[in-house]
Amino acid sequence: MAAHSLFNTSSGIAAPLRAIRNSLLSLTLTLAGLLAITFVMSAFSPIDPALQQVGDHASAATYAQARHALDLDAPLPERFGHYLVRLGHGDLGLSTATGQPVAAELREVFPATFELSTLALLISAITGIGLALLSARWPGGWVDSVIRVISLIGSSVPIFWLGLVSLALFYAHWHWAGGPGRLDDAYEYTIDMPTGLVLIDSWRSGMPGAFDSAIKHMLLPALLLASYVLGSIARLTRTSLLGELHQEYVTLARAKGAGQSWILVHHVLPNCMGPMLTVIALAYTSLLQGAVLTETVFARPGIGRYLTNALFYGDVPAILGATLVLGVAFILINGITDMLVRLLDPRLR
Amino acid sequence: MLRMIHPTLHRYASILLGFALALSAWPAHADTPPGILVVVQAMDDLVSLDPAEGFELSSEQLFGSIYQRLVQADPDDPSVLKPVLAASWVVGSDDRSVTFTLRPNATFANGDPVTADDVIYSLSRAVKLNRSPAFILNELGWNADNVDASLIAVDAQHVRISWPASVSTNFALHILTTTVASIVDKRDVLAHQQNDDQGNRWLRAHSSGSGPFSIRRYVPREALVLDANPRSPGGGPRIKTLIIRNIADAATRRLLLEVGDADIARDLGPDQFTALKGKPGIRIAQFPSATVCYLLFNTTDTSNPALANPALWEAARWLVDYHGLAEGLLQGQFSVHQAFLADGFPGALDDTPYHFDPARARAILAKAGLDHGIDITLDVFNEEPFIDIAQSLQSSFAQAGVRLHLRIEAGAQVYTRLRARTYQAAWLYWIPDYFDAHSTASAFASNPDNGSHTLAWRAGWSMPTLTAETQKAVMISDPAERVRLYQDIQRQVQRESPFVISLQERSQLAMRSNVQGYRQGLDADMVYYDQVTK
Repeated sequence: MAAHSLFNTSSGIAAPLRAIRNSLLSLTLTLAGLLAITFVMSAFSPIDPALQQVGDHASAATYAQARHALDLDAPLPERFGHYLVRLGHGDLGLSTATGQPVAAELREVFPATFELSTLALLISAITGIGLALLSARWPGGWVDSVIRVISLIGSSVPIFWLGLVSLALFYAHWHWAGGPGRLDDAYEYTIDMPTGLVLIDSWRSGMPGAFDSAIKHMLLPALLLASYVLGSIARLTRTSLLGELHQEYVTLARAKGAGQSWILVHHVLPNCMGPMLTVIALAYTSLLQGAVLTETVFARPGIGRYLTNALFYGDVPAILGATLVLGVAFILINGITDMLVRLLDPRLR
Repeated sequence: MLRMIHPTLHRYASILLGFALALSAWPAHADTPPGILVVVQAMDDLVSLDPAEGFELSSEQLFGSIYQRLVQADPDDPSVLKPVLAASWVVGSDDRSVTFTLRPNATFANGDPVTADDVIYSLSRAVKLNRSPAFILNELGWNADNVDASLIAVDAQHVRISWPASVSTNFALHILTTTVASIVDKRDVLAHQQNDDQGNRWLRAHSSGSGPFSIRRYVPREALVLDANPRSPGGGPRIKTLIIRNIADAATRRLLLEVGDADIARDLGPDQFTALKGKPGIRIAQFPSATVCYLLFNTTDTSNPALANPALWEAARWLVDYHGLAEGLLQGQFSVHQAFLADGFPGALDDTPYHFDPARARAILAKAGLDHGIDITLDVFNEEPFIDIAQSLQSSFAQAGVRLHLRIEAGAQVYTRLRARTYQAAWLYWIPDYFDAHSTASAFASNPDNGSHTLAWRAGWSMPTLTAETQKAVMISDPAERVRLYQDIQRQVQRESPFVISLQERSQLAMRSNVQGYRQGLDADMVYYDQVTK
């Protein structure tokens, strides 16, 4: 009996432990696969990283020295092994394009993207769900049509063009919003950025006007990025809501005399949480990597622009480092979403 | 229905209106703060701010503001050498050495005195680190083994510099004007050394010089903030802070300048300049530039024998629409120039014997039996104005049956192919590394045995006589004789080479009207912010 209860207890702990172990194993394998693929693809890139570092005029000796320093004279599997060992020590290497440690550069750029994307996601999720509710309330009517047009503008008009036009209007013409950069020049290089999140750091700096400046500069890029995913959130949520409206519990609620709006908000919306969270998670991952054009037009640091520059210059350590960070972010977002969906949907528990 | 929509819309409209009002209540943009000069440019190319390592356009443009050399080109006349950290110099009787007297009481930005020991350390460090620009100092015959013996401190204020290479004193002095010969503070640099790296990692993002500015903060790919150095020998700058912001998109740079959030905008395209012309508060300034654009054929490509045929090279010289490119497409940002030495360099050849004449090109090709149509892949940088230029070449060459297939790639990809000689033709640009004709002549008109870094080698152009002439020219001390020789070499390259030298850049930048005193010279490093006021 004692043995039986002991077995029961250990199995009670063992199940979540096994789940955590399996998750970690799957995470490690996914990341290892991601790194291996990126490493091999970078190795076959037509750009010579040594040449890129020493420039076109360097002597043969300088070139050979750079190849050795970059570990390019070793066979490919050995180079990958060296990379993994350094990674194990938290060393992502030196960027061949800037000569700075990749880990330090990523610590600078990732919080900026995280902040902008999270803000954009909040705006798009709240607005998108609101618009979806309105559309589902009067499907096929003029409200639905107007919302369809609004929600498609962001995803169908090139974001680069939209960015420039909004800068020209709201910054250059009307002076309503801040211009490119994260802060006005008076603050940009004078306040400390311990967290890398400009809204928090400018608030904590205590400098009068710094926080206002951060908000003004954040406004346009955040709205623009939000409009980029607004369409997909609104349309997919609308489809889920309409699908649920044919369920029996809706008919029952109607029979009990509940109004359409009440039913939508109080009965249907909670039941659509699963698909909605999945759509929002997908939007978040695309925002994290897809902010590159917004970051370029608004001259904001960020991982999208960092990775694009790294690809453009064939900066292998930076490409691998940024891919790793994005990979971890994707896996974490998906993991957290799965967990939330399970928590919110009793059918999946 | 209306009951439901009205309150919702009303709420949304109120929020939006409140938002708009709150925004418009913020003050409108003012100009950049007084005493601060904000420059917006593309700075993604910047690899290192260590003068012994950095060799990109952006870093070269900055070194002049941060570091000084013993001698430098006079900003107003680059052919004249001006003592900067040196007070004077005496040429040795052997014509292979110079003894410099250092400027008395000269100090670095941190207050350390500039001594002979710093001069020796800086030059020796650059040679031994052996990074990209070290090849310039190697022209003096210096290498890691012999450089220390060539640099001797006579006392704290005097240093004797000699060189084993057979080059004239004037040439050696020009080599010492280059940014790789910048003088760094030995004590400061060694204090920041990590793993015997001679402070290289630290200097990539910090400064230790005596120039008019010193680095306050560098955020790679974002911005560089420089503080005025009032101690700078020769005088401190007139502004307090210089902020160089990396704004990758040219249209955004233009916008920042128009609004007044930037004082100077670099790297704008012809369309941006057209839009800015006549705008109140904006001035467009034009400066000479030694950048020369040329077409290059790879004669070693056996898959396309036409490339090695001098008739194709000759026809190509009549197939570039020089004036259409310079005055039409590029709207004055380039001028027609057909010799490798840029206008402004002593000995530059300014005759333009070629013009766009497709009939003549067709006749040349027909005579050589190349009139059956030729297909050539042309490698081009994926940046403007090069893509526009390549499209113009494609159209003008087609008029003589030469079909150019464009391969538009990142710079590093184009250079990788050039170095491996796996290209067919390329449209490129050349910027001299120092203000002496040899810098350019040794690239275009020299193909020695191990000349893998010369352009002539990359074209597979074998010309031993011309190579010998080029090597002879650098040894000559008489300036007039050198000019005569270089002009002769340029004519031969113009007539006989697989290069079609076509255009010379006119550097343009846009600035606010209140910005005064900005100067810029022919070479990349001749960018001067020290006299700027606003």
